[in-house]
Amino acid sequence: MVILEGRGITKEFGGLRAVSEVDFVLNKKEILGLIGPNGAGKTTIINMISGTYPPTRGRVIFKGNDITGKKPYKIGRMGISRTYQIVKPFPGMTVKENVSVGAMFGARGKELNAKESIKKAEETLEFVGLQDMANKRADDLSVASRKRLEMAKALAMGPEVILFDEVMAGLNFSEIDKAVELIQKIRDEGISILVIEHVMRAIKNVSDRIFVLHHGIKIADGTPDEVLNNEQVIKAYLGRRYKELVQ
Amino acid sequence: MAERETITKRMILGILVIVGIAIPFFSGNFIIRFLTNALMFAVLASAWNIIGGYTGYASFGNVVFLGIGAYVSAVLMEKGGVPFWVAFSASGVGAAIFAILIGLPVLRLKGHYFAIATLGVAEAMKALVDNLEITEGNSGIYLPVMNLSVKAQYIFFYFMMMGVLALTLIVTAFMLKKKLGYGLIAIREDEEAANSLGVNTTLFKVTSFALSGFFSGLAGSLYAYQQGFIKPESVFDVGVTVKMIVMAVFGGIGSILGPLLGALSIEIISEILTNYFLIAHTLFFGAIVILAIVFTPKGIMDIISGRKKFGISYLLQNIRDHRI
Repeated sequence: MVILEGRGITKEFGGLRAVSEVDFVLNKKEILGLIGPNGAGKTTIINMISGTYPPTRGRVIFKGNDITGKKPYKIGRMGISRTYQIVKPFPGMTVKENVSVGAMFGARGKELNAKESIKKAEETLEFVGLQDMANKRADDLSVASRKRLEMAKALAMGPEVILFDEVMAGLNFSEIDKAVELIQKIRDEGISILVIEHVMRAIKNVSDRIFVLHHGIKIADGTPDEVLNNEQVIKAYLGRRYKELVQ
Repeated sequence: MAERETITKRMILGILVIVGIAIPFFSGNFIIRFLTNALMFAVLASAWNIIGGYTGYASFGNVVFLGIGAYVSAVLMEKGGVPFWVAFSASGVGAAIFAILIGLPVLRLKGHYFAIATLGVAEAMKALVDNLEITEGNSGIYLPVMNLSVKAQYIFFYFMMMGVLALTLIVTAFMLKKKLGYGLIAIREDEEAANSLGVNTTLFKVTSFALSGFFSGLAGSLYAYQQGFIKPESVFDVGVTVKMIVMAVFGGIGSILGPLLGALSIEIISEILTNYFLIAHTLFFGAIVILAIVFTPKGIMDIISGRKKFGISYLLQNIRDHRI
């Protein structure tokens, strides 16, 4: 069942076409990987879905409703959460307060008052394994914990779809494995996930399907094996030696 | 640690309240008048703290709410013959409505741009009131005289101002425990992130500005009624905005009691300095403010709340933290 769909979404910044006529489909409980070289337009796609800026052309459909051009807070409340590649914690708040904001105002926020939201935040922190840091200030966290906090905030909103923008960048191998585990655990909660990543090892293991952007154009879409063996993808992004390295 | 903080805060508050209630019965008119003025600045600084401290939008035009509050009361009472209590409430509501109307366009701006725009709004309102007939232009407007003895009037305004201050602080404290407070602080910390987490940033910012306007407007009404005569230059004076910001920063922005402590200490310090140095007092006053900002940029409240030990190491730590 399709939960989120992009139809011919295009973004132009002045004369620069960052994303061109991209179609994509995210199914329920699916993990969809989005890869591509720097500047390919991956984050732009997330920004268009989450309402940070509206597409120049094309439509974004969420559960059958057209959400194109809606404001970010409305999209967040409808059930689409996102993270930022350059993490955006609320530095002066504690970790728990950070996550509480997500619980208070997200898709499930209407049902919860302030106290209940804080409780929900505590549960979410336990789910992502940050419970020991709950009372630390957000700007005292390590890189890995900050990425995890970013995920916790999105998760606490009670979304149906989460858009992860490079939540593994800058992590070491064991941290990446933990992040992959967490993303799968989130999917098991019934949440559909779009994940942008450069770490091939991770994206290959975590994704059900992958689609590839290059200069704003979709050049491939399929299972991880199909996509990573695609000649065009190897040429544009992975490089020839990648295949030898993997095998 | 957190417990110790609340206990200290409660003790300070308790002492202030007891002393505050007892003082007017034991002191002369001069002291009561001086303290009423200090309380007014405490209201203004605390109201500024809602938009400037918690929401992170440093308004340089908050005096406009004082002016609107003052003029709403003056016009309603003098021209409309409306009783004080009605005019008093209308002043708060009027200033809040003005904050909403101005906030919708102006709160789209950030940082310096917001500061300059609010400054412009206050100046524009001064010019407007200066030229309107209903406000009697720049010749100023009289208010009806209160039917009470002088001493009773002084005590009345003292307790009214104290009541407005209490209301401001209680609403602020209440707000911080609710979603509104979390939303506002989230906006201060990172507006884009707050927006994507579902915070309706426009609504929240405007609400914060309206609250700030409401309390300042109430203070303006009391100020006008006590003065008995107001002019645009005095109630739309940029210097008042500067003073409330300095007080809020001096006491500790983003804390409930900080602006109150800032207002009281600054009024007392400047009064003492004026007594001893008739001409050079502003020079000494400026020096004290600079030293305070350099050594305790988080304000007096940060020292008192017992989060850190007060000593040379605390001062040096502050300098290191803020790269001065």
